[in-house]
Amino acid sequence: MNFKAAIFDVKNLNFVSKGHKILTNISFEIFQAEYIAIIGPNGGGKTTLIRMLLGLSKPTSGEIKLYGKKMSHFKRWDKIGYVPQRASLVDAAFPATVEDIVNMGRTSKRKLFSKKTKEDIEAVESAMAKMDVTHLRDRMVGELSGGQRQRAMIARALASRPEILILDEPNTGVDTISQNRFYELLRKLNKEEKITIVFITHDVGVIADDIARLFTINEKIQICNNPSEALSCEEMSKLYGIEAHLVCNHKHGH
Amino acid sequence: MLEILEYDFMQRAFLAGIVIALLASISGTFVVLRRYSMMSETLAHSALVGVAVGLIAGYNPMWIAVFMAIFSAWLIEYLRSHFSLYSDAVLAIFLSGALAIAVIIVSLGGAFNNSLFSYLFGSILAVSVEDIITICIFGGISLALLLTFSKELYFIAYDEEVAQTSGIKVKFLNFLFVTIVAVIIALSIRVVGSLLIGALMVMPAISALQYKKGFVNTMLMAVFFAIMGVISGMLFSFYFSLPSGATIVLSVLAIFVFSLLANRR
Repeated sequence: MNFKAAIFDVKNLNFVSKGHKILTNISFEIFQAEYIAIIGPNGGGKTTLIRMLLGLSKPTSGEIKLYGKKMSHFKRWDKIGYVPQRASLVDAAFPATVEDIVNMGRTSKRKLFSKKTKEDIEAVESAMAKMDVTHLRDRMVGELSGGQRQRAMIARALASRPEILILDEPNTGVDTISQNRFYELLRKLNKEEKITIVFITHDVGVIADDIARLFTINEKIQICNNPSEALSCEEMSKLYGIEAHLVCNHKHGH
Repeated sequence: MLEILEYDFMQRAFLAGIVIALLASISGTFVVLRRYSMMSETLAHSALVGVAVGLIAGYNPMWIAVFMAIFSAWLIEYLRSHFSLYSDAVLAIFLSGALAIAVIIVSLGGAFNNSLFSYLFGSILAVSVEDIITICIFGGISLALLLTFSKELYFIAYDEEVAQTSGIKVKFLNFLFVTIVAVIIALSIRVVGSLLIGALMVMPAISALQYKKGFVNTMLMAVFFAIMGVISGMLFSFYFSLPSGATIVLSVLAIFVFSLLANRR
């Protein structure tokens, strides 16, 4: 029997804020080792949905299960790595080296009063190596370029050895070369490490061949099971309006 | 320098001063990183209400100050997390409100103005053995808790939401943190005074941040600057007959100006 357990099982999710419907009747499942891209116009509810998946806000109605458990009973948050939208826009004065940041990823795994274990050290080293930031370990995060910072933030998320990585447009202020390198790293994490990836992006054309499914969110959800073929400009235009031209050009240039 | 240590009251002053410097700078590093600098000022004024009550009612002012500071810290944290109020406005309301209450209480008591003055501006030379014992016990507990949860508090300071999604109990730690800060402030006002304690918390940390080092080094530098500031401030105070709280604050201010100039680009 080919049975795959869902990591996220979302049913009839609704979110209303100050009388405005932000999300309506959202249902989906996300399975182990999937690579999901989420697109949609600004204000369409992508970030709201991610915040609910992470337990940062509560839905008005509906249910989210993580690994088969209700949100309120779920305790294994270390299985989920989160890289927020502002990841590459860190406060330049914050006193943190790259190693300090990556070590944060182990914080919730470490017990009170305990020193770093061999596993903590190995997890941090391996996360830094995967994201190619080992040589930057003693550099202050405020001094890094956008792309380096972004890799450091993902290394932090990887340090807890997550099974799922949720990234909310962490590309702000990152140049194109770094972005392409970043997409390559995500592809490797998904294919080689079998990490489930949920990636909110505007840049779906470039990663269309990597992703398993595409969720478009604009108050409601549309799930596209064959993203590399289904991304027609008409569909994108319907969703985005004028922004679609940019997205489609990416796709054609790929 | 050594002859001033022959006086009992100076020995007590140095001991209390160094313990307070340690407590204020370590908690102050987190206060600055979490952008809670105004919080320390506000809690210092709330503690003053406790001092005023203690003076009038004849209880140890420091104990009531600890209680009042904790109560205010919890109330502020509750208001910030449950109502969509501007958090700096909440702090401003508490700050002036608490000061007004303290002044009214003291004016009703009449004869206690001198005592209150020493809690406003600090009176390190009047530190009693009982004060030192209180500072060491409660300061020791606060410091132990701060260091125990330092990696969690550091993560929260860096990004509260990411810390929460990684499984850290952010709400609990926020309450614990403001409680610790409240206790440290209430303990410190005997030494540097409620009008000046904010400076002893914030300035060593801000000075250390100018050197752009990692977290542990930044905190160690803040501790060093605070202890330097307290010792040099007390020496100035002793030899030039100046108020101790103010000379301590001017010393840490001088360290801040030096750090700023030494690290300008």
